[in-house]
Amino acid sequence: MKDLKHIRFFEQLLEQANNELVMQAKAEGKVAVGYTCYYVPEVLLNCGNAFSVRLSAPNTGSLDISQYYMTSFICGYARALFERAFEGGYNFLDFYASSDTCQQMVRVVENFHELKLIDNPKFDYGIIDAPLKVSPHGLKMYIGQIKKQFLDKLNAEYGVDVSDEAIRKAVAMHNEMCGIFEELSELRKAENSVITPREFHILSIASYTCPTYLILPYLRETLEELKQREPDAVNRWRARVVVVGSELDDYAFSEILENCRCYVAADRYCFGSYPGRQRIELNDTEDALTQVCRNYLETNQCPRFMSGEKVTERREYVKKLVEEYHADGVIYEQAKFCDFWGYERMLNTEILREEYGVPTIGIDREYVVRGSGQLSTRVQAFVESLEIKKIQTKGGKDE
Amino acid sequence: MSRGMANNMQDKTGIYKHREWRGLKDTAFDYGQWCVLWGKLIKWALGHPIQNVKAILRYRWMYTYLTVPSFFDRICEGQRGAGLRGARYNLNYLAEVVTKEFDTIFSADLNLHPGSKKAEELSKKIICMDELVPQLMCRGLPDNPVILYQMFPVYLPSLINQHTPVHYIGQSELYGLPADVCPLPSYEAGVAIEDDFPKIGCCMLSCNMPCDGSIMTTAVQYRRHGLPEQPINVPLRWLRDDVQEYAVEEFKSAVEFLEEHTGNRYDWDKLKEACEIWNAQNRAKFEKWEYNRTEYPPHTGSTAWLYRIFEHQAVCGVQQALDNDLKVNKILAKQVAQHKCPKTIKHRAVLWNTPCNNYANFNNWLLNCWGIDSVCEMIDIHGTEQIDTSSRENMLFGIAKMFQTSTMRAHTKGGYEVMVDDLWKKYEEYNCDMIILFDQISCKGVGAINGIFEEGAKKRGIHMCTVRQDLMDPTSISRREMRNDVNTFMQTVMNETPVDASLVDFDDDECW
Repeated sequence: MKDLKHIRFFEQLLEQANNELVMQAKAEGKVAVGYTCYYVPEVLLNCGNAFSVRLSAPNTGSLDISQYYMTSFICGYARALFERAFEGGYNFLDFYASSDTCQQMVRVVENFHELKLIDNPKFDYGIIDAPLKVSPHGLKMYIGQIKKQFLDKLNAEYGVDVSDEAIRKAVAMHNEMCGIFEELSELRKAENSVITPREFHILSIASYTCPTYLILPYLRETLEELKQREPDAVNRWRARVVVVGSELDDYAFSEILENCRCYVAADRYCFGSYPGRQRIELNDTEDALTQVCRNYLETNQCPRFMSGEKVTERREYVKKLVEEYHADGVIYEQAKFCDFWGYERMLNTEILREEYGVPTIGIDREYVVRGSGQLSTRVQAFVESLEIKKIQTKGGKDE
Repeated sequence: MSRGMANNMQDKTGIYKHREWRGLKDTAFDYGQWCVLWGKLIKWALGHPIQNVKAILRYRWMYTYLTVPSFFDRICEGQRGAGLRGARYNLNYLAEVVTKEFDTIFSADLNLHPGSKKAEELSKKIICMDELVPQLMCRGLPDNPVILYQMFPVYLPSLINQHTPVHYIGQSELYGLPADVCPLPSYEAGVAIEDDFPKIGCCMLSCNMPCDGSIMTTAVQYRRHGLPEQPINVPLRWLRDDVQEYAVEEFKSAVEFLEEHTGNRYDWDKLKEACEIWNAQNRAKFEKWEYNRTEYPPHTGSTAWLYRIFEHQAVCGVQQALDNDLKVNKILAKQVAQHKCPKTIKHRAVLWNTPCNNYANFNNWLLNCWGIDSVCEMIDIHGTEQIDTSSRENMLFGIAKMFQTSTMRAHTKGGYEVMVDDLWKKYEEYNCDMIILFDQISCKGVGAINGIFEEGAKKRGIHMCTVRQDLMDPTSISRREMRNDVNTFMQTVMNETPVDASLVDFDDDECW
């Protein structure tokens, strides 16, 4: 297939957190709001003159400084963010919307604060305490925390319009972007799809790390281009998988899978499209903030949710993706030193395989995966096992 | 100066060649209390001999309890006077409660009594709770025995015998759990994987305490016990007023859950009585801290903090526990009033972060080898606010606050300031001259603020010795390696000579 028109541009945007579109938005006087977690409703950070940037640390190399401050047993993502902040890579940030949901991530913003790592006199932050289960009183606390820790501060300190009208406007823009991703996801259902895993991953990360209003035109154009794109004459994919797991903003992961001729039919990881790139339907009878918060709480698939129904729901969710996207198997990926996904990976690889009958492997990985031969070997082995399974199933049917 | 305490230990196993000589009076007291302990153990063993043998054969962790007398001796090493008395009274009270709980657990355990109607009936009455949920909340259901689910197979064995967790942690890792997670939840998961939790209970109250790993191990345990479960979601930013209402709602919803599954009405008056007893227990603890702030700290070390944890989680709101506190306090107060200090104190230290379970007598070694008295410990400080029982609403807020400031999480949650600033404060309050900071290598929440500790101590000119440990896993960091961290610091930074040179380096890798 021919390269997409804007793919190089998207790649360039992912070269640094303070990318071309972020700089453009800042130059236009907008307020840059960093965040890392699905618990922080992205759409609310795009109200008024604010724009959201899901933080990443592209081209991370040595983590020596963060190792001193955070020890070597901390997840690579958290350490990379610290290191990048130490280097001055996030000085463009005006506000950091954080959540006390993962103890390692919340320590990042606390280090930012204590060590004064963000060289921006306007810089401030908020940390929400979020529930681990869905309940009416949990929703009430969640809304209260978001309002007090994020919206009130954004409004008071930066003049961001956080009115009901502004939230509805932000939701409309968000929904337009999600509509594009829903269509892109539909394209992935085809056996010989016109969009590659690498391309989808790049588009997905770009949508999180760039101001929505500036990335939208490029996404629109890319979708139209994909609709017209002709697939390869021969289907080169040996297996289709759903990738499930923790924070993954290095599209080299998808490249590795692609090189093993393994097609990522659906993604359920942070920086992926499930959940996060589905439209939020608002009604006119209830205030927008409540509806948005409820949406984020109910659709959240973080393993941190510990109530029985949520634990089961997470497995059902993955199973549903497998069926909907005609996947042959599931890859559970876990960033090293992530406690949540360490347990989730252990348990669900076993349960999906044994109880749901879905071929599944679990892998752990560094924050930067580029050039990981070990990962490649494991994926290749998994792809082969899926192929054998398919041959055996076909053979059985033929007999 | 050499006292040769290590010469009384067998190489590698650390087993004593003879009982410690502490002077006539103290040795006689210690021996007497040791006999009292044996009396309690024999009484328990003979109470249900077949059932108990079955339990020892069924559960690998039960073997650990056979070494309890040795464990009590270890954590009383070097203690004299009021400290020794406080330690022994605390420990023997603990032994009494634990053996009673064993009777309840094993009598109801369907693993030991498959198909037994009697066991099933008792089991249906039992409320299982995560060990980090203070039992205080169940005092409103006096007809239902409450078992802290992980306390007996996990927490206590990890203190008693350093080798017990290794097998279970290994099982978790064989199942696919990364080796870098905290050994506590990993051990819990291992017990579940091995099917080594007793089969008891009508329902389970789990919780999100103290950390991320504990949240996640709940799902592993649920698959094994299969009981109706309700997680209590205790807010993390506990200093904030705006999360208190949620904490209260969680408590209320847990009460509804318990009423539904026990079939009993919650008795709020009983809860009020228990809260008042707990308040008195807490006041007794405040007094102990006050004594330790003086020049004559009478009772320090693991027999103090271990008892505090046990009291906070298991015997909060229990009159017998309060009686024990008052008895101990009387002895401690007397010694302080007499300005007696029957131990060699060269340094007063704050011990911060979670202590190492697989080296529960580390405090004793610090004192006996280097004269470092651990006058204040982070693990000792939790649930310190008095519960206002003037109205049900106030009482609920008080209990909710107690939960939020439960063992460990009073400092590890609530923002880094809670952990860091309180350290500097306690350093001053207790008139210390050094800090021992535990670097619990798999504790990510604390590890991630390592630099803030380092820079804070440097800025204040405080001597801070970092001691690496892995909570319950001696295969990562051994007791000897922990001692080496201290030895190096004391010799190079403090330029100190040991109080007992025989204790500087010895091999106790095979010790329980």
